[in-house]
Amino acid sequence: MESTKLVRTSSSTRVQVFLLDNLIWVIMIVLFFIFSLTIPNFFTVLNIHFMFYDASAIGMLVFAQALVLISGNMDLSVARNAGLTAMFVGMLVRVWAKGVIPTWAGIILMPVFGGLLGMVNGFLVGKLKINAFLATLSTFLIYDWMTYVINQGAIINLGRALDFPGGGTIFGFHFAILVLFAVGAVLYFLLQHTRFGAYLRAMGGNPEAAGMLGINLTSMNFRVFTIAGVLGGVSGLLYTGYLRSIPSTIATGDSIFLSFAGAIIGGVSLRGGEGSIVGALGGVLLLGLIDTGTTMTSVAPALRGVINGLILLLAILINKSRLDLRDRVLMPPQRQA
Amino acid sequence: MAKNESKSLGAAKDRDRALLRLEDIGKYYGTVHALRGVSFSVSEGEVVGLIGDNGAGKSTLIKIVSGVTPKSSGSIFWKGEEVEISSVKLARRLGIETVYQDRAVVGSMTVAENIFMGRELVRPFLGVVPRLDRKRMREEAGRLVVDLKLNIPTADHLVRFCSGGEMQGVAISRAMRFRASLVILDEPTTALAVSGAQQVLDFIRRLKRENIACIFVTHNLHDVYEVADRFVVMLQGKVVSDVKRDDTTVEGLVGLQLPRSATGA
Repeated sequence: MESTKLVRTSSSTRVQVFLLDNLIWVIMIVLFFIFSLTIPNFFTVLNIHFMFYDASAIGMLVFAQALVLISGNMDLSVARNAGLTAMFVGMLVRVWAKGVIPTWAGIILMPVFGGLLGMVNGFLVGKLKINAFLATLSTFLIYDWMTYVINQGAIINLGRALDFPGGGTIFGFHFAILVLFAVGAVLYFLLQHTRFGAYLRAMGGNPEAAGMLGINLTSMNFRVFTIAGVLGGVSGLLYTGYLRSIPSTIATGDSIFLSFAGAIIGGVSLRGGEGSIVGALGGVLLLGLIDTGTTMTSVAPALRGVINGLILLLAILINKSRLDLRDRVLMPPQRQA
Repeated sequence: MAKNESKSLGAAKDRDRALLRLEDIGKYYGTVHALRGVSFSVSEGEVVGLIGDNGAGKSTLIKIVSGVTPKSSGSIFWKGEEVEISSVKLARRLGIETVYQDRAVVGSMTVAENIFMGRELVRPFLGVVPRLDRKRMREEAGRLVVDLKLNIPTADHLVRFCSGGEMQGVAISRAMRFRASLVILDEPTTALAVSGAQQVLDFIRRLKRENIACIFVTHNLHDVYEVADRFVVMLQGKVVSDVKRDDTTVEGLVGLQLPRSATGA
């Protein structure tokens, strides 16, 4: 009898934990209402549609960063992976092998090439045991400048096929948004409901313990960076369609920092082991929401960047008290001081 | 001398029913000779205290048995058959579970997740994809926690909130759940307060009742004396003594741990 009592926490505790774990969505809904009431034309289908669309390419990078952070690593190179992938594959199908490799093949080649670039990080961190910050800092520089080595201009007139994933619509609905949610769903399942996900969180939470329990850290590191690379490639594909061209500046600027910001605003911990894909999705959508809101109130672009920084700082502070509160809720009563 | 003779006679008699038998195990770390021809055995359901000072080779020996480090020479027999314990996974598959104080748990994960870590239960999803069977793991973990009398409210409890003794309880639950035949405990009571240490000693008694053998590695002689059936004393990479509990006292064990020069022998 007693054992059945032990199976689950009380429902009120679970509701509290659920709300705390999904605080990002609560904040977003509140902010959404505030914007809808105060900004003219904010609450329109077109605007909301665009908000999601705008978040999809950066969303891939946030997902990638979230996975890597949960595994206890970080990936500074993932945005440059998106850039180099788009440029390399774009040149391949439009210039170097034009007519030999059909343009639409780029849709498959980008995730594959991104995965290969991710494998390089996986090899450096997993096999050679190089610190993830240093390994991906190196590949960041290499991938960044490789993009300019390949082409210092832009590839234009990509053709409909290559533009479609990032720029096309189905029944007036942007395909990229479908990609965002489909990839989110797959990663959610991977992280929450598979052994791989359990190993990833174990490794991020305590790599020594994970290793002692027979989890192969080399292979796990290799795999998580490879997945991040594939997501980088998908991001490159979505940026390509979004921009309808591949400039050498694709996915530069804030992209890499926003990948961290989105994940961290969504509750992913820099310490590793903690965070969720649902949270990361919330993080990227919140960034998109604020971006849209500030654009529509004609806040100067430079000031918008400042606001992004302040939001991140605020999110970090909120997260800190959120986690303290979560601990208080979960701690058994007799242990509370 | 007489003690040594009885030891080798005993070893021959135990040979057939030994669960684990180490023969002439040697280990080099580079040029450092960490183990020099170590031999001893553990029978089913027996609690063996592996004692010795820091640097005596205890840790190296258990790392070899639990699949963390390969041996340089010698043989390991498991249930009468020679085995190569090349990985932690393999050791666990054989039924050797190691409890490393509170180091082998992940604080940010739940008790249930920790008990099943690396051996999660799955059930097919959409007929093909193996999906974690969280419900079953939670239920089984709940029963194990009650069974070990751990003061943990639920199997969903984060391990971070557990005491040091309870964390070892979580690790010991793994051995119970996966029916290990041998549990190695590395300094299980060293970092704990008296009550926590008593709790861990109770776990060991519990394992013994289940006929699960234990190797209790420690330099705390008082704790190990309470539960062990036999003591293997190591000194400078060698087994210097192998005595039954009935044949010695805590004070006797202290003497055995000392280098020969210090005892004047």
